[in-house]
Amino acid sequence: MSMGLADLLKGKKSRHEAAAATESGAGPSNATAVTEAQQAKKTEPSCQSNPLGNYIWDDVPDATKWADCVHCGLCLEACPTYQETGEEQNSPRGRVYLIKSVAEGKISVDEAFADPVFSCLDCRACETACPANVQVGGLIEEARGQINQAMPLSGVSGTFKKTVLNKFFPHQKRMHKLGGMMRFYQKSGLQKAARKTGVLNVMPDHLKDMEASLPEAGKPVLGRYPEVVPAEGEPKGRVAILTGCVMDLMFNDVNESTIRVLTHNGFEVGLPTDQGCCGALHIHAGERDTGKQLAKQNIEAFQDYDKILVNAAGCGCALQEYDELFRNDPEMLPLAKEFSEKVEDITKFLYDHDFKRPASEVNTTVTYHDACHLAHGQGVRSEPRQILNDIPGVKMVDLPDADRCCGSAGIYNLTHPEMAGKLLDRKIDDVPDNIDMISMGNPGCMMQIAMGVQKYGRSEKVVHTVQLLDWAYEKDKLKAHEYEL
Amino acid sequence: MSDVVKCLNKLEIPYIARGAGTGLSGGATPLGGEVIISLVRMKRLLDLDLENRQAVVEPGFINLKLTQTISGKGYYYAPDPSSQNACTIGGNVAENSGGAHCLKYGVTTNHILGLEVVLSNGEIVEIGEHGVPDQPGYDLLGLLTGSEGTLGIVTKITVNLLKNPEGKKTVLAYFDDIDDASQAVSDIIAAGIIPAALEMMDDIAIEGVEAAAYPVGHPRDIAAFLLIEVDGIAAGIDDQIDDILTVCKKSHVREVKVAKDEAERSLWWANRKMGFGAMGAISPDYLVQDGVIPRTRLPEVLARINDISRKYDLRIANIFHAGDGNLHPLILFDASVPGESERASKAGSECLQVCADVGGSITGEHGVGIEKSAEMRFIFSDEEMAAQTDIRHVFNPDDLLNPGKLFPEPGRCVEVKHGEKKATV
Repeated sequence: MSMGLADLLKGKKSRHEAAAATESGAGPSNATAVTEAQQAKKTEPSCQSNPLGNYIWDDVPDATKWADCVHCGLCLEACPTYQETGEEQNSPRGRVYLIKSVAEGKISVDEAFADPVFSCLDCRACETACPANVQVGGLIEEARGQINQAMPLSGVSGTFKKTVLNKFFPHQKRMHKLGGMMRFYQKSGLQKAARKTGVLNVMPDHLKDMEASLPEAGKPVLGRYPEVVPAEGEPKGRVAILTGCVMDLMFNDVNESTIRVLTHNGFEVGLPTDQGCCGALHIHAGERDTGKQLAKQNIEAFQDYDKILVNAAGCGCALQEYDELFRNDPEMLPLAKEFSEKVEDITKFLYDHDFKRPASEVNTTVTYHDACHLAHGQGVRSEPRQILNDIPGVKMVDLPDADRCCGSAGIYNLTHPEMAGKLLDRKIDDVPDNIDMISMGNPGCMMQIAMGVQKYGRSEKVVHTVQLLDWAYEKDKLKAHEYEL
Repeated sequence: MSDVVKCLNKLEIPYIARGAGTGLSGGATPLGGEVIISLVRMKRLLDLDLENRQAVVEPGFINLKLTQTISGKGYYYAPDPSSQNACTIGGNVAENSGGAHCLKYGVTTNHILGLEVVLSNGEIVEIGEHGVPDQPGYDLLGLLTGSEGTLGIVTKITVNLLKNPEGKKTVLAYFDDIDDASQAVSDIIAAGIIPAALEMMDDIAIEGVEAAAYPVGHPRDIAAFLLIEVDGIAAGIDDQIDDILTVCKKSHVREVKVAKDEAERSLWWANRKMGFGAMGAISPDYLVQDGVIPRTRLPEVLARINDISRKYDLRIANIFHAGDGNLHPLILFDASVPGESERASKAGSECLQVCADVGGSITGEHGVGIEKSAEMRFIFSDEEMAAQTDIRHVFNPDDLLNPGKLFPEPGRCVEVKHGEKKATV
């Protein structure tokens, strides 16, 4: 890739570093200073040159997005929060109308506006339902960016955003350390002790439920695997994968499966070590500046690859929308566009590249849950189902309303536990009887649904679609090995 | 509900019952100071009696959800407004909604067997008890259905269910000349065929739907297409399709095809049913009208609508239920351009004048609401309207129930018309 990109990215970074130095009093040391300085910056809104009605802060929402909306209301019933509340302001049409009203100067950016905008799951079900392709998700994220600049963050969600989102996710080392701490907590007996002594009772119920269903943290793939994993046999092509934060921390076995499945299909797999968090959680939460920093990091880290595969739907969708993020940045926009076009979901890629059909049977009954950012966000619905159908022995049973949000929605289950809980209850209620596994393509959903399974004392195993394929391949390999012996 | 109504009555506060707010004439839009009673949380299916082909639902029950609930057992609920995946059956009753298939199956009023209504004094009455609609005396069910929330608030609805048709086939016919397409519509009906649906879209409408969420790949240089569906006993379907193909060929059809499978049929219908919302893809705002004309006058009326489009310098797309002469001219405009909203509303009114002139009506299925109350004068004399407001007075003596809707208020019609356009776009 050209020097231009590196210069551009570096140039931007150093400008921010300079800002960090002046504002925090610290030297231009590392990325930590950058994000913390940005946080400090947030308290004093930066008035930008082109305000739009009552949007007076940097990075104003895109007026062309609401111009497409004619208020027909076909989105209403697709919206989980409207289904639950029946309130217009908690429907996509209501939210778009409010966002437009701020731009028209009819209402201001205040609590009353922030509530419905933040109660949105950003699940994009309305975008599937919309006859005019209104990008509601993008509008919500842009409006949240304005709210975050307008109002000092308060309450639990604000603290969460300030600490976890900005102090952990952007930093790989801290995330890995967090993983190490979790492994220690789970393996040392502390978890058992904590559960026994009732220390956990001081936590809110939804956090207790979450703690109870945490998967066993393994060792992240990134840094442990070589930067390039060779293909099995004659290489058919070269791809990179985004290992992700939550995925690599909580579901590193899914990442291992992903690598094995790809190499088995003849692809050389790149794991660029400079990659970072995709920024989806930040962008959804309106933390657009941190999101942009992470986006730049990834654009640079993956510049040598033509295909970037993602096994986490939320991350994949965010990477595909980097161009939206840099809408108002003419320098970054072309780079972001080029990057976004390279990104694809792992199941779509495998299906489109005529993946090897496994011969061994995996005898299990499976239902498939559509992750919002896979079905609504990326339009990937049939490919994962086709993959499951092509594994011998897998019996598929339909999940009713499979593409209705499970309530995970990034950090939504932490910021809006009540609504998230209701949606989880409905999701678990929909899972048909006599199912062995629930398959899906997103780590947030995997944690949320695993929590539901645990909470209701059910026995279904929560798996990623590529894991099932991997297990079938592993059986194939074992048989081939036995045959050789 | 009864208590709420009694309380509002006592305080003399006007009020409006509201469903999903998908209506196209502003029937649930407040004009100032009304309390809105939202019925969307009253969404239970109270009873399902397939043996007697009836269901009892609360007013907030979603139209399409009823069909989805019973389709596995071989039944469906016939009225299918294009907004059926979001609109409520309560709203359908208030507006007497139609849909693409009302040509053969009728509109909402033909499928309502009973209603529980809270009257303006808070009294709860049941009309058509036990699903027997034909009670002796006046047809109160017919009066209530389509009364646009001015006579009472419906709290329970008994609907009629139909058995799924044994066979169904759908035809798409492309025409180079809109007059030929109009002629084909008349000729199909004249040939004695009653299709389940007979829809038409013109070139501007096609531009919209092809730019939106469900493009079919219609040729872009045609003048119009017809979407024709026949259903019923499987044995007769192919003959009807043959007859339709013959009529279309006689009308110089460019290309005509039968949907090869359910997936193709669904796509054609999604493309059609999302038609109004799809206008968002080619225009910031639109105003939809809802006139009815005798089928045979179609070519003449379309030519006059075209004149109106030129006169006001606004594009007008036409999506309509051609089979029953129910036109939906969609007037495309941009509310942010000064004067354009006013031009659009005048153009819409003139379209309705044309419909009235040729012996038609100002509304087929969207209701009058605030949008067309002034245009009621196109088809009713003052005496005729007074007779109707006298009926309203019996149910709604203090005019607290959805005031300012349906009929022009003496001396207020200009003002009402002014507020209207915002409600519908």
